[in-house]
This record gives sequence, structure tokens and C-alpha cells, in this order.
Amino acid sequence: MADLQINSESVFNFEQCLKCSVCTVYCPVSAVNPAYPGPKQAGPDGERYRLKNPVFFDENLKKCLNCKRCEVACPQNVKVGDIIQAARMKYSTHKPSLRDRILASTDFVGTMANRFAPIVNMTLAMGLTKSVMHSTIGVDKHRQFPAYSSKRFETWYKRNAKAQQAQYDKQVSYFHGCYVNYNFPKLGQDLVKIMNAVGYGVQLLEKEKCCGVAKIANGLYDQAKKHGNINIDSIRKAKEEGRVTLATSSTCCFTIRDEYEHILGLEAGDVRESMTLATRFLYHLLDEGKIKLAFRSDYKKRVAYHSACHMERMGWVFYSTELLKMIPGVEFTMLDSQCCGISGTYGFKRENYETSQAIGAGLFKQIKDLAPDCVSTDCETCKWQIEMSTGVPVENPICILADALDVEETIKLNS
Amino acid sequence: MKFNTIIIGGGLSGLTAGLALQKAGKRVAIVSMGQSTLHFNSGSFDLLGYDAQGEAVSNPLEVIATLDDNHPYKKCGDVAALAEEAKALLTESGVKVAGDAKANHYRITPMGAVKPAWLTITDYATLAEADKLPWKKVALVNVIGYLDFPTKFIAAGLRRLGAEVDVKAFTLPELETARKSPSEMRAANIAKVLGNEDIVKRMAAAVNEQTEGGNYDVVLLPAVLGIADSALSQQLKANVNCQVQFIATLPPSVPGVRVQNLLRKRFIAGGGVHLTGDKATGGVIENGTLKCITTENLTETCLKADNFILASGSFVSGGLTSNYEAVTEAVLGLDVDAADEHGQWVKYNAFEAQPYMEFGVATDGELHVKKDGKVINNCYAVGSVLSGHNRVKMADGTGVSMLTALQAVKNILK
Repeated sequence: MADLQINSESVFNFEQCLKCSVCTVYCPVSAVNPAYPGPKQAGPDGERYRLKNPVFFDENLKKCLNCKRCEVACPQNVKVGDIIQAARMKYSTHKPSLRDRILASTDFVGTMANRFAPIVNMTLAMGLTKSVMHSTIGVDKHRQFPAYSSKRFETWYKRNAKAQQAQYDKQVSYFHGCYVNYNFPKLGQDLVKIMNAVGYGVQLLEKEKCCGVAKIANGLYDQAKKHGNINIDSIRKAKEEGRVTLATSSTCCFTIRDEYEHILGLEAGDVRESMTLATRFLYHLLDEGKIKLAFRSDYKKRVAYHSACHMERMGWVFYSTELLKMIPGVEFTMLDSQCCGISGTYGFKRENYETSQAIGAGLFKQIKDLAPDCVSTDCETCKWQIEMSTGVPVENPICILADALDVEETIKLNS
Repeated sequence: MKFNTIIIGGGLSGLTAGLALQKAGKRVAIVSMGQSTLHFNSGSFDLLGYDAQGEAVSNPLEVIATLDDNHPYKKCGDVAALAEEAKALLTESGVKVAGDAKANHYRITPMGAVKPAWLTITDYATLAEADKLPWKKVALVNVIGYLDFPTKFIAAGLRRLGAEVDVKAFTLPELETARKSPSEMRAANIAKVLGNEDIVKRMAAAVNEQTEGGNYDVVLLPAVLGIADSALSQQLKANVNCQVQFIATLPPSVPGVRVQNLLRKRFIAGGGVHLTGDKATGGVIENGTLKCITTENLTETCLKADNFILASGSFVSGGLTSNYEAVTEAVLGLDVDAADEHGQWVKYNAFEAQPYMEFGVATDGELHVKKDGKVINNCYAVGSVLSGHNRVKMADGTGVSMLTALQAVKNILK
């Protein structure tokens, strides 16, 4: 307390705000949706009132994407986004609807959908289903659901990869997330392919639950906490056994590292540094000369990189882009850093569709003008949004790396 | 992950240094915590607006030669050449500016005052002399509901100089929608609303409707167009039937954000590493050399470089901090020039020259920083973090930012 006095700091982070209004320049929502009060008003300004009297809480705060671009912009380290999320948790009386619960339960829905994947995919793609979902539960009819895979990543791993992993001296754990497990096992397979080629075995976590980002966004906090603790325990166990845990989704990684503590109040500080993004892990191994990569001479691709909001917040765009630039056949362009508008489940909601597309409009135009062979980004929901809105395919940097890799040559270099 | 130079700070001075080093073929990283004070830019750049007595300067180069030895310009070798280089760097990056280091012109502030300037973005209203407007009949046209452009003050300022001013306002359906959130009806958000060719076409028609038959010499508009570049303001000018010029608004500043966007984009396109939103937290100094710096986001590593440039800004940007006991340089705890006694930091009259404005990092003649009295031979300070000048009283802030950055680069390349 004496230090606080000397340094004229408050126990309330919002009091670091100088009222410079710079955050308002970078809010993707307030520029297109005037119903949202903007980061300064919703965050530090509003917090002062809410502390006086909760009646000042505004349900419009749910229009915040939790993109954290306000925090990246703030020159005084005000955690604007965290303040807004915490206020929603504390004061909102809005109960999650059936639609919110379905969208938030990426794990449960995924498990069910995998079993009947061809039927589910066909049904979800039908105009009739879309319009029924649009008018009944409020999932926007314009959205394309990511296709469900008929074989889960975990199943593939157990049948096709697990046994081979023990042969490697060095080991990592992998937090695959719902998307890799239920929709796109190839990304996880690509990671295993790369890690094995450079001499690392890949283990699954003892128990993995959905990271909880969609549950936090949809107000299912208790469930998010419960799953969060299971993930923390598993990552801790891997750490104790000497394994770093890698993720291929920037949002899963960000949620576990930062949101568990800042938003959910879970004790995750001791595992924060053993949870990282695969591109960051690989970059350091390469930088320190511990591994080498060989690339196919026939691989050619014009790649434009999109900085996902949570990637930007973690400050790790550098790692993914440097890896892509290392591939001789990649012609690299950096897209302007701006939100694509989907923000996980946000853009799937009927009431948010227009806002979502308006936010992404500038990005879509830049991509269409550039017409690259593919866009690369570390976030799966950005992928859906950009693919739907531009028609340009989107790939995770790990998939590009895996496709460009000369596996046999890489194995030789690292053995 | 080794760089030729790591720059701490992504504002005007950091980006200037980054681009100049890149031009010399160097691998550069910028660590940028939060956004910069370019968000408060006036659409102009100043070299030296006022002398020590507070008189407006007409020839900055002449007066710079007479400044105190502790002014940062005294550590810049050839100020005239550096000023030319700075202007060229802006132009190459797509910031079209006009102005001359030997002859200040004047800009119009959002409060209707007239102030000296060195360079001004070409679409913005300027005066060749402080008391002479280039127009007689003026239409001052605002966006309805936009409060950061106080037209009454601006009109009064223009009338004092003899202009005949009509204040007008226009709106468009999109602007009416934006207006539903009065607290977010700011310059940058309006620029996003007015962000495509179709709406600018309709904006031009709305402005024409307001000014039709008025025989105006000029239409003056708030600077709410073109966050990315000047394309939309050019389009508007082409479609309005009368000469159009812009006046800067209260912050956030659209021209300032545009300058930053253009410089940053060029830096990244040139292969520069921009660690957006990351905070330098410390460094390892051995035998008078800064070896590496740590950052908040890249926790696993200490970033190495041959040279470092501290362009972290002043108190508002967090480059300098203060408590009740001392003024401190935030990243490395470098030596600062500051009065010891807290009572000597401020003058009671807010409009007097405030002593704290001149506080900052101490440097030697080559802009090297010091720690515990010892020079760090590969670390340079540039821009607002430097001691020895008062940018409010002397209107030399952007000049110091750009010129010291270019000088530090010369010292590195030497």
C-alpha cells in the first residue's frame, strides 16, 4: 500500500487510464455498431460508475468482441478488455439462451456431430436447416458451419500415431482444441508430422477439455472454470514430466495462458510458461540451431498473413510470420492488422451478422485485391470467416510448413 | 533472432529511425508498447515554432543555431540536411507535405488559433503569414453532431483575420447512425464511416449542397477523412465544386494515425519486425554495452542487437515515469536530467513553461545514454524521451523526434 502511495498507483487498474481515447481508434465494434458504447466508455470510464452503483451496468457490453485490440493500443497498460469481461461476469443478468449454449458447447456438439458427420454436414449445409436455425434459435443463415470430421483427431492419434511417439528422446504435449479434434484433424496430423521429422514425440494431455473461450463469451462461467481446472492440471502434469504443451490455435493458447487467470480467476500462473504456440516453439528451436528444416523445391505459394486478434494480443505474430518467410517457395505479404469480425461464436449469432461482416469489410477487400493463393492465420474462426467472405482458402502456418516440408531430408538433417 | 538495431518505441521517432536504418540495409525490430502521441498530431510537423522569449520564429534554422547547448538539436550535426532528409522520408512513405526549414508557415488549430509550422500535409489549411488569410469568403462545414471541431472558435479565429465565414453542417444516413453513440462520434470513427468511395461521393454532394451559390474561396472541413492514406481526401477534393482544405480536429487525430499507418506499413513491407503491443521491461548491460533487452510478451528470450535506440517517449507514452520522489527512465533506469526537489518540478501557473517538460534522459554529444554516470556505447536516445527541450513552449516536438532519430542512425552507421 505504501508503494502504491509513492508511485501514485491505484489498486484499480482502470485508474491508470489517462483518457487519451486512443483505444477508441482501434475498437472494431464501435465504428460499425453505435449500440456498443466503445472501449473507453465500456471499460475504464464505466467501471468508475459501476463501482458506485451496479445500476450503471449496460447489457450492451455483450457487444464487445473481446478482441483485446484496445489493450494492445493502450499506452498505459490499462486492461480495457479484461475490465469489460469482468463487468459482464459480475453484473450481467442475461441468461445464456439455448442457442448460446449450443454454440458454446463446441466439445459436446462436436462429439455428437462426429458420430453422424456426413449427415450433420449435409444437414447444416442445407438452406432449409439454415433458415430454420436462423428464425428459431438465432444462428445466422449466412453462416457456413465448419464441416465435422467423421474421425476425431484423438481417434486418429491413438490408432495411427501414438505407438510411434515413444521412439523420440524429446517429447512435447499437444493441446489440440475442439477444432482439430472434431473438424480438422489434418492440422494436428501436420503438427505430429513436423515434430516427428525434427525428432520430437508428440503426446496428448492426460485429459483435455475445451479451452472455454466460447463458454466465457456466452456466459457459461462455471463450466468454463471446471474445464479450465482440468486443463491446468493436465498441463501441470505434462510440465512435471518435462513436456512443454503446444497449441496450434492462437485463441486456445491465449485463453489458457491469460484468460484463465484474468477473467476466470483460476490459478494458472505456474503453467503459463509451459503453454505455448507451436510456431513459437519451432521458431526458437530453429533460432538456437537445435533443429533444421528442409523444404521441397517444388513448393510455391503466395501467402498473405492475417494477424488474429488474440495472436496480436499475445504479441507472437512475429514467430508465425518468420517461419513462413523461411520457406523458400513462399511469396509472403503481410495484411494490415485488423479484426475479421467473427470473434468465435459472436458472428454466428443472427443479431451480430451485419456487425461482423462490416467489421471485416476492409480486410476482405484487401484480400480480394491481393488475390493470394492462400491466407494464413493462427486462428480457426478467422479461417471460417475469411473463407466464407472472400472465397480465398485459409491455412494455419503449421499446415503450410508441413506441406512445404521435405520430410525425408528433414529427418536426415535432425538425426 | 539477432538484429542490427532494436528500437524501443513505435511512434514518430522510432519509425523514422527504423525506416532510415532499413534504407541502409539493416535488420531492425521495433518494440512498441501501446499507441503513440501521433494520435494527437495536428496535421503539421514543427521544427521550431517559438524562440526562448516565446516569439514566433520565421526562420527555424537561423534560430536553432542560437539555442542552448543542452537542446537536442545541438547534438544533430547538420540540422538543415537532416530536416531535408526527414521531409524526404515522409514523402517517400506517402505522406505528402509542403514546407521549408528556412521559413515557417502557419497552421490553424482546432480552436481557431494560428500557429507556426515547418511541414503540413498538403490537403490541410495553411497561411504563409500569421495575420493574412489566403481567402476572403470561407465556408466552414462540419459534420452534424460532431463535437470535436468547435466551429464557433474556428470561425471567430478566421473572422479576427478578416474572413467572411459561413458555418454550415451536413449529414448522411451513415453519419446519423454513428451519431447514436455520441461518445464514439470521434474523428477516427467518422473516418471509418466515411471509409469508401461511394460514401465520399455522397459526402461531396452534401458539401456542394451546403455551399452552392455561396461563391466561397474555400471550403474548410474537419480532418475526418482517410485513415489509411490520402486517396479519399483527393477524391473528395475532385468532387467538391470549390477549393477544399482540412483543419485538424481534437484527438484522436486522423492525419496522425494516417502518418503512423503509412510509416509502419512501409517498415513492415521492408522486412522490419514490429512487435506491436509489447513492452520492453529491462536489459542486460555489460562493460558499458547493452547486450539485450527483455520484453513482456517474449518471456523466453533476451532480444539481442548490436545497437539499441530508446524512442520510448515522455511521460504520456510511459518512456518516463515519476512518483513523489523521482523521475525515472522506465525501461533501463537510465540517468535522467531532472530537478531533485519535487517542489521544483512544476510552476503554479499552468500556462508558464513547466520545468518537468524539459526533464528526460541524459545523453552525451552523440546521443548515447548513460547509467550511473557511465556512457552506454551502443544505446541512443531520440525523440521526446530526451531532456533539454520544451515542445509545448517551443513547438519543436516532431522536429526533435525526426531529426534526433536520423542523427542516431548516422551515429550507428558511422
